[in-house]
Amino acid sequence: MNCRHIKNRLLPTNTSLCSLVLFLSFLLMALLAPVIAPYDPYIRFEPYRSPSLEHLLGTNDLGNDIFSELIYSSRVSLIVGFGAALMATIIGTVIGLFAGYFKGTPDEILMGITDIFLMIPQIPLIIILAAFLMPSFYLIALIMGSLWWTSTARVVRSKALQIRETSFVEAARSLGFSDMHIIFSDILPNIVHVITPKFLMAIASAMIAESSISFLGLGDPTAKSWGMMINFAFIRGGFINDYWWWYLPPGICITLFVLSVVLISYAFEESEEAALRIE
Amino acid sequence: MLASLKAVGIGKVYESGLIFKSQKTILQNISLELEEGQTLGLMGVSGSGKTTLGKILAGLERPTAGRVLFGGKDIQRLHKKEFTLFRRQVQMVFQDPEGSLNPRKSIEEAIHDVLGLLKIPKGEWRERSLDLLETMGLSDELLCRYPGQISGGQNQRVALGRVLLLNPRFMILDEPTSALDLSVQAQMLSLLKDLQRDRGLGYLLISHQSDVVKYMAHEIFILEEGRMKPMS
Amino acid sequence: MSSSKKRPILGVDELSVSFQTSLGEVLAADEVSFRLHEDETLALVGETGCGKSVVASSILQLLPKNAEVHGQVVFEGRDILRSDEREMSHIRGSKIAVIFQNPSMSLNPIIRVGEQVAEPLQVHRGIPRHRSVQMALDHLNRMGLRGDTAIMYPFQFSGGMNQRVMIATSMILSPQIIIADEPTKGLDDALARDVVSEVMKIRDSSGAALLLITHDLQMARDVSDRVAVMYCGQIVEMGSRDDIFENPQHPYTAALLNCLPEKGFQPIPGSSPSMIHSPDGCKFHPRCQKRFERCRLRPPMEVLAGTKGASERQVRCWLR
Repeated sequence: MNCRHIKNRLLPTNTSLCSLVLFLSFLLMALLAPVIAPYDPYIRFEPYRSPSLEHLLGTNDLGNDIFSELIYSSRVSLIVGFGAALMATIIGTVIGLFAGYFKGTPDEILMGITDIFLMIPQIPLIIILAAFLMPSFYLIALIMGSLWWTSTARVVRSKALQIRETSFVEAARSLGFSDMHIIFSDILPNIVHVITPKFLMAIASAMIAESSISFLGLGDPTAKSWGMMINFAFIRGGFINDYWWWYLPPGICITLFVLSVVLISYAFEESEEAALRIE
Repeated sequence: MLASLKAVGIGKVYESGLIFKSQKTILQNISLELEEGQTLGLMGVSGSGKTTLGKILAGLERPTAGRVLFGGKDIQRLHKKEFTLFRRQVQMVFQDPEGSLNPRKSIEEAIHDVLGLLKIPKGEWRERSLDLLETMGLSDELLCRYPGQISGGQNQRVALGRVLLLNPRFMILDEPTSALDLSVQAQMLSLLKDLQRDRGLGYLLISHQSDVVKYMAHEIFILEEGRMKPMS
Repeated sequence: MSSSKKRPILGVDELSVSFQTSLGEVLAADEVSFRLHEDETLALVGETGCGKSVVASSILQLLPKNAEVHGQVVFEGRDILRSDEREMSHIRGSKIAVIFQNPSMSLNPIIRVGEQVAEPLQVHRGIPRHRSVQMALDHLNRMGLRGDTAIMYPFQFSGGMNQRVMIATSMILSPQIIIADEPTKGLDDALARDVVSEVMKIRDSSGAALLLITHDLQMARDVSDRVAVMYCGQIVEMGSRDDIFENPQHPYTAALLNCLPEKGFQPIPGSSPSMIHSPDGCKFHPRCQKRFERCRLRPPMEVLAGTKGASERQVRCWLR
């Protein structure tokens, strides 16, 4: 039997559609970088060239084509954003689910750990670690992911506490389903609408954090990211000489991508609310 | 073997606060026995601990005093295999009909979950689901629906049908009809009576509606201030 | 009761309400007609999803935007379905009062009770704040609530107290009509009885007409003068309370009464039809024990011979 038609989905609005298109085009840009970019970003041309047909956004101090650099940079930026957010969301969700479902002692231990992590000043710690350890984007993503799960854990826990008291969870326990089955098949699907916006917001903040760290010069100087591009534009005279084609595009890319993520997350929350109202 | 479910000297005290402990006694020294084919009515105002007692009997909550005996054995000390049997044979049906099914699973998924739990081969799922709906007097269109899209009475019947798949001997019915419409309540009660007659189920009927309890129960108790006494 | 000479103050004529949803068109009210007379209580009874609350909401124009409404609601000589929002909000506050279900949710938990009761006086009568609060206090006293309740907050009250405050708020402008929409739904027994006695008190003291919308037959029997029974968007039977409860004419009314505890919970076979694909002809005929060929055609609402005025008896069934 075909059950598709019953599910009630809202038509997307113009804003959410635009942000989705934007989001997907950034993803495509990262995936298809070698196809789209006119040059290898490490090839050297004449440095400090102004935009021309040959080099759409000119060249930088080393003579790399800025347009190609911009496209390749999306890869590192997105990997850091997604990686950190995915890690934070998974850790936070699992900890929150277990704390909320089992209550009592497991809850107190897990929430105690969460409180400890909440006390860590995160950006300073990331900066210190980035400065002292080998500067690498994967490391930065890893550090952010292992620090940023706390708020997700708290939200998921309180939601799980609420849902575990509903009759359908009690009924599942009474029917003899295992705890794992109840947690992942009954409770988790009812929390996804809380987790998804959290995940999207985490992508946005991780990308901004990565850019900030790179801009401060604490990133990996050999990898190309949007934040790193701005950093180089800053220290190699891009700002002083007003080579806007050098520092503006990566800034715009960061802004647009974060904007698309935030808008999608709003649209998601809205449609979730509307769906609840229909029920 | 005739199954039996018995509570002996059940007490429940809630404690709260880490440093300044405060205690609240919900149940005191309650003993009762459910028999197959019989209905025990349990009445009391809201907040009298009826539901807590039901959950203790169903093994969903632990008493702070006393024991629940299933087939003569304390359910806290059952072996894994015996506990699974207890888990199958003693079931609880909950009050709010909309809440007793996961809102994000279609009726079909909700039924399949239980069939999977019972390790019934996938090939029979479709047939078994349709059987269940038919027994409960529901149309097969319902399979595609979500709990929010069907009525309270239909939800309640699906929930009851899922429970019946396990072939229970005893059912704890916690206000099974108080959220239902008059005509649906009448249907539900007659369905419960039929099931008791056909399958010899033992019920603990928890309700604040004295009409319903009097109609269904062979014996009636009232829960007041944590103690249970027979209704005069 | 000598209500046969009473003037009708609210006339609902052939009211139909439908909604467009993704699953199809929902016909929630289907040619509903009734009159509410002065100083009378009319109970609109029916089971969940029969459209009774939709009738109340459409009288007050409180329906969601996707609703399509046909028919007339005549109040003070005008069709108020065609009134604009400004006029409507005047009518809603001061002439037709509403008591909603769930009292604790209908009051703002962080505003003092006295202020909330006084608000209609400020909005509709332009009475200054200080004096209106004083009037609210007197009013609460008359309703049997102690003087200090006015300075308390709704969250400090029990559900029953909140329901009384709600009723007091809706009564402060002495409306001509009170619409009580499921005032006992979701309340436990003791509280429901409180609310019923409260509703009876207002009915006796205020002289306003009461339109009581409820699924609770016992409450309808205790409180109302006349009863209209709804099934699947239609009124199937209407008449005086005693006629309806003692001598039901429509098979649905009779079957519904048989579900009552004192009749031994006799179930009606089948389940309520969905309002999207409701049965053709008489909406009850698939579940009716007495159906015959003609039931496939839509029965008209007919006035039984020899009944008139407040004791008028209407039935929508081919057997009559």
